[in-house]
Amino acid sequence: MSTSTLPLNRYAFAVWRRNVMVWRRIMWASLTTNVCDPLLFLFAFGYGLGAVIDEIAGLTYLAFVLPGMMAYATMFAASFETTISTYARISMQGTWNAILATPVTLTELILGEALWATTKGVVSMLCVLGVGLVWGGIQAPAGALAAIPILALGAFCFACCGLAATAHAKTWDFFAYFFTFWVTPMFVFSGTFFEVTRFPWFVQAVAWLLPMTHLIAVVRPLATGGALVPLAAVGHVAYLVVLTAFAFWLARRRFARRVFD
Amino acid sequence: MAGIVEARDLEKRYGDVHAVRGVSFAIAGGTCVGLLGPNGAGKTTTMRMLLGLTRPSAGRVEVFGGDIAALGRDFRMRIGLVPQDDNLDPDLSVRENLEVYGRYFGISAATLRERVPKLLAFMQLEERGDAKVMQLSGGMKRRLVIARSLIADPELIVLDEPTTGLDPQARVLIWRRVLDLKRQGKTLLLTTHYMDEAQRLCDRIIVIDAGKVLDEGRPAELIERHVRGHVFELTKPLPEGVVPEELEREDIGDSILVYTADPAALRDRLPAEVEYLHRAANLEDVFLRLTGRRLREG
Repeated sequence: MSTSTLPLNRYAFAVWRRNVMVWRRIMWASLTTNVCDPLLFLFAFGYGLGAVIDEIAGLTYLAFVLPGMMAYATMFAASFETTISTYARISMQGTWNAILATPVTLTELILGEALWATTKGVVSMLCVLGVGLVWGGIQAPAGALAAIPILALGAFCFACCGLAATAHAKTWDFFAYFFTFWVTPMFVFSGTFFEVTRFPWFVQAVAWLLPMTHLIAVVRPLATGGALVPLAAVGHVAYLVVLTAFAFWLARRRFARRVFD
Repeated sequence: MAGIVEARDLEKRYGDVHAVRGVSFAIAGGTCVGLLGPNGAGKTTTMRMLLGLTRPSAGRVEVFGGDIAALGRDFRMRIGLVPQDDNLDPDLSVRENLEVYGRYFGISAATLRERVPKLLAFMQLEERGDAKVMQLSGGMKRRLVIARSLIADPELIVLDEPTTGLDPQARVLIWRRVLDLKRQGKTLLLTTHYMDEAQRLCDRIIVIDAGKVLDEGRPAELIERHVRGHVFELTKPLPEGVVPEELEREDIGDSILVYTADPAALRDRLPAEVEYLHRAANLEDVFLRLTGRRLREG
């Protein structure tokens, strides 16, 4: 398969549009859950935990947790889409087989899937941001908006990691490992609900391997108006970029073997 | 026209399984070629290699005069595939399925608006445009998959068991359309388990089994070569010496099949007490002679 031309083209977008068309039919159900999820979280954690915790890192708990929830929504939506949903398209619906018989290359197909998962991650995140802005608690709205492109990069990174996992999946059971050893650790160790610095050093070391930790480290200062060291921010973004490239390469290589051999 | 498709010494190994063991053939432009073989013979693998969907372990494929390894996406623009499984988008409508697929070929929205209704009409689906794929019968889904394969007006159409599991009415419609496509000058490659279908549609037949080409030729040629044109099915037991030595025969259990080019001569020799059935030989006889009568698993 030729991959010499830039794969970000109309063929990749044709794959993206296919997923948009299917999603449009369940759009309202999907958006409702995207909005209600953070509402339930805010209600439970904001009132529950917020009442116990006066201040965390110099912020109210609500202000602290909202950027983490934005990152979490991004991560969960992009991860779910590229694992459970992509695997259904591959193994049950034959969607990938149908597409690969057309001029769309494997690289474009993977890219189209990743872009779609990025879209879902961003939509899910925007619902959290919207809820946060209405509920109150986004301390620096301009900074939160500025964080959107970083979160989109994060979504793309999670999407590529999900695809790399799916490329290795032989049965549905595989995804239990993915969620237990990838999604859940990012939920609890990456600073969504409390600071990473509370962990002993070896847990922190593992936490900094997770892309979510880097994403939150950039998004939280932006959305709360906190101090963000430019060099550190560049480092976090660079980590996401490198991991994204590696995951995409791994997914592409593994899928090529599964599809063509 | 010269060969639209040329396969040379194609081989495919999956671990220890040698699925295709050196298959070579050519398909001339504007013809319909049937690839026949029992389950597990290597038909689908061979087709996938022709389309660049499976990498051959050895050998090469040329399509439209170029090596597919070097052709990139361009050769896919000129091929329509009707896969064995209906991999339509179940969540989309009939029309949307065609539009979505058309975009994979980079076809503009304006062209699709003009082409989709024509294809729906061609496959007699014009009244089902807004139906969900899930609501379609098996025959309609199959017709939609064929319509979909034509979205980019391909020169070569590959049909993998296009009528398996369909009722006779649906099969007849699909046959008519395949013949229409041939009349339009399209090149067709099809696999099927229905020998009447192959005989009716194909100009040439390639019989493969255990990953090898057993024989190829025009249907009439194959019938002449392997089963002489006429079959006598003689019920056992048979008196000694009833059937002339020079005629080929096959014991199939309860009876013996005898193949002959001169039915009158054989009939004259048969004693009155011998029960027999005489019929014209067909492709099914050829197929069973070449690939054997043993049941295939998988």
